[in-house]
Amino acid sequence: MRQTVTASMPMALINQDADAGLVERYLAGDMTAFDELMIRYERQIYRVCYRFVENREDAMDLAQEVFIKVFEHLPGFRRESSLKTWLYRIAINHCINHVKKHSHEFVEVAEHMSSIRPMVHAQLEENEQRDHFRRMVKYLPPKQKAILELRIYEQLSYEEIARISGRSVSTIKASVFFALAKLRKLVTVGAVYDRPRTSGKDNRRS
Amino acid sequence: MFGHLKPEDFVNLIEGGELPGGRKSHLEGCAPCSAKWAQMSSMHAEVTSLDRVIPEPDWADFRSAVRDQLLSRSVQRASAVRRWTGWAIRPAAAWALSLFVAVALTTGALLWNTERTPAPGGILETPAPPVEPGDLETVKTVWSQTALFDELIQLGDADEEQLRQMLESAQKRAPYRQ
Repeated sequence: MRQTVTASMPMALINQDADAGLVERYLAGDMTAFDELMIRYERQIYRVCYRFVENREDAMDLAQEVFIKVFEHLPGFRRESSLKTWLYRIAINHCINHVKKHSHEFVEVAEHMSSIRPMVHAQLEENEQRDHFRRMVKYLPPKQKAILELRIYEQLSYEEIARISGRSVSTIKASVFFALAKLRKLVTVGAVYDRPRTSGKDNRRS
Repeated sequence: MFGHLKPEDFVNLIEGGELPGGRKSHLEGCAPCSAKWAQMSSMHAEVTSLDRVIPEPDWADFRSAVRDQLLSRSVQRASAVRRWTGWAIRPAAAWALSLFVAVALTTGALLWNTERTPAPGGILETPAPPVEPGDLETVKTVWSQTALFDELIQLGDADEEQLRQMLESAQKRAPYRQ
């Protein structure tokens, strides 16, 4: 009977139950639950972090910081959402804050450059084009980038992304659309260069 | 009737969804929407096809690093709490002690003053205990045992009678001072 009920339960619910059990065990002082929780989510969180920083060491540091935050705040986890959603939310917010702190302003050059870009593009090798495209993804606004990454590479559903970011599904879909539109603009206009931030806190400090 | 397609409609199309009849016919007939749809789908295809090789760390090291950091942070936090508690308790204890001393001194002084200060009128109402004949005997006994007074005081019957009268009159008139 129990098997029948378990078999008919959706996978997400089974995972949620398992997560809740692990959280209870960890809070009760069972350190094997720590390892189990880490094994369950370390790859996913690391991948999210890596996509923001594109660097193994920085991604590891970010992911470690995320897990430390998670375990330190686990006693206050109110179980209003699933552990996975909560973890992703912490990771995304942490990464966005990191990127904002270390971001460089980039400037698009005048529109007339777009007329010469196709020529330049034609000369580029396919790999270079891909690299170029990848770089442009990096220049997306952090929130749009996060949503695009979660949808395309982590293959989370729009509902899950909406829960993680605390927005509606329509807003998330619109964000994906605007991220793609922005990416197209970046790739087409192409001429983007880094420049130290000229406004905000960093500027006031200097 | 429907106007141009919304961003959400394009994303639904990208995800393989179907548009409602009216919107579908709009997309087929609207050049800007068709162009946008073509751009969005090609951009989505490019993003999806990006090969993202992510180098993985040593997960055992990663886990132990997280565990160590958690441990060291909890130790730091505990010592910080202890330090804070120590700093907080020391002045508090000093304050409590000085307050206690001040209260004790004030109370002591008040009690001392109350005992030393006569009641209104300066004289207590407590009557002097009556002089018993035995008291005189006691006085005489004490005096008789004191060698010094033997030489100085030699009470005769008349003196004794006078002393008795003095004591009795003193009992009646003179108040008893505590």
